[in-house]
Amino acid sequence: MLEIEGISAAYGEFRVLHEISLGVRSGETAIAVGPNGAGKTTLLKVISGLLRPSLGKIYFDGQRIDDQETHEIVKLGISLVPEGGRLFPYLTVLDNLKIGAFSKKAREEFRKALDEIFGLFPILKDRKKQLAGSLSGGERQMLAIARSLMSRPKLVMLDEPSSGLAPKIMARVFEFVRRIKSQGYSILMVEQNARKALELADHAYLLESGRLQFHGGAEDFVKNPYIKKAYLGI
Amino acid sequence: MFEQILNAAINGILLGGVLALLAFGLNLIFGVVKIIHMAYGQFVMLGLYLIYVLTMQVHLPLVLSALIAVFAMAILGLLTQLLVIGPLLEAPRLNQLLALAGLIIVFENLAMVIWGADYRGIPLYLPILKIGNFFIRGSCLFAFLGALITLGLLYLFLNKTYIGLAIRATAQDTEIVKLMGVNSRSVYFITLAAGGALTGIVAAFFTPIYTVHPHFGSSFTIMAFIIVVLGGMGNLLGGFISAFIIGVVTSVSAVLTTTEIADIIALLIFILVMLVRPQGLLGTRGI
Repeated sequence: MLEIEGISAAYGEFRVLHEISLGVRSGETAIAVGPNGAGKTTLLKVISGLLRPSLGKIYFDGQRIDDQETHEIVKLGISLVPEGGRLFPYLTVLDNLKIGAFSKKAREEFRKALDEIFGLFPILKDRKKQLAGSLSGGERQMLAIARSLMSRPKLVMLDEPSSGLAPKIMARVFEFVRRIKSQGYSILMVEQNARKALELADHAYLLESGRLQFHGGAEDFVKNPYIKKAYLGI
Repeated sequence: MFEQILNAAINGILLGGVLALLAFGLNLIFGVVKIIHMAYGQFVMLGLYLIYVLTMQVHLPLVLSALIAVFAMAILGLLTQLLVIGPLLEAPRLNQLLALAGLIIVFENLAMVIWGADYRGIPLYLPILKIGNFFIRGSCLFAFLGALITLGLLYLFLNKTYIGLAIRATAQDTEIVKLMGVNSRSVYFITLAAGGALTGIVAAFFTPIYTVHPHFGSSFTIMAFIIVVLGGMGNLLGGFISAFIIGVVTSVSAVLTTTEIADIIALLIFILVMLVRPQGLLGTRGI
């Protein structure tokens, strides 16, 4: 579904990604783990068109997307839940969901998508008139995930969904991700919290200093002695 | 004396309505594109000239001239985005300001070359209304009501349409809105066109009140800017409230002193507010 071939990217002179290749198959959950500054966020920015790669190609459903604009890529079916949620704080919960369904096709299916979202996350229905900025940390992340589903994506990308949250709320956020996984969405999630993330993974990638160090099925991944020691603490 | 002051306050409120409309456009552009449209008052000046030419020289009905002016100013807004603001979006702030300030010189001298320095106006006499002991200029009342209706329509546009929602979202987070499938460049164009159309509408309401000359716009750019900053930049409600404050303060102090001193008093109040609340009365926030 998503094929990334030899992507490099830089902020000005500062190279962040070095010839990364990875893929996400339909219905699969892929996780990219790695320390701070490994280029995980940059990778998602490049896929969603917020940052142009300096080298390499990206295909989505066979179509090349690395030269397309962000709003076009969203229309094709890739959505991103940015780190920290990045909600529109002065819009209501409902308006945040509405703007998530901005593209023409998503707008037509707005009612249906909204019913699904409220089924998946019932609290949002009670809070729909509230400003997004007044939600709690966990609810914000929930709304950010819900908002990204409103565009009717095939692939949902999540950038560090657990970052900055208390452990108890973190567990809830992973539970949200599990819920959308069970709905059949393909997922690409980057996380620092490798142990929790790997519980959800079908396939995992390890990024270090902008380079892909290791990849494999979730089971091979957790068996790798280096990953065990450095990222899982066992 | 008390009645005179009250009368001045009423006139100030009427003036405040039009100022609110003027400041709204500047505020909207700042909120969405994060740029200060330095030549905003000059747009109004060009709009007034256009209405003058179409009515007095082409002999079109006034209402039709005004509609054409609104449309033409919207196009001018689009062109400003295309030729000046768009290419400078990633440029340093100072370059953006200088480029837009350059437009002031272009527009004012263009007007000077075409129409000369004469004051030009359409002879249009709306009655002065006497309500109780108060005297109200019909043209000001008309402008006030028109401005309020326009602001009401803008409120509905921003709050009830998908494009309006995209504009508000863009004002709150320029990057993330793209991830919602919004083409932010289109949003900028729509915002500049709307801001331009607003200057055309303001020009239409100004036509019965003012005569126009090439430097007509500068005082209104400053006035609109002060209102926007006083209310909190990008805060539409703040701009709305501070327009009435500035309107009433200038009008009342003009009665108590002179019009020149009235401007000084308004600016002093502005400076005092800035010293105490640099973020403006209601603070900066999204639309």
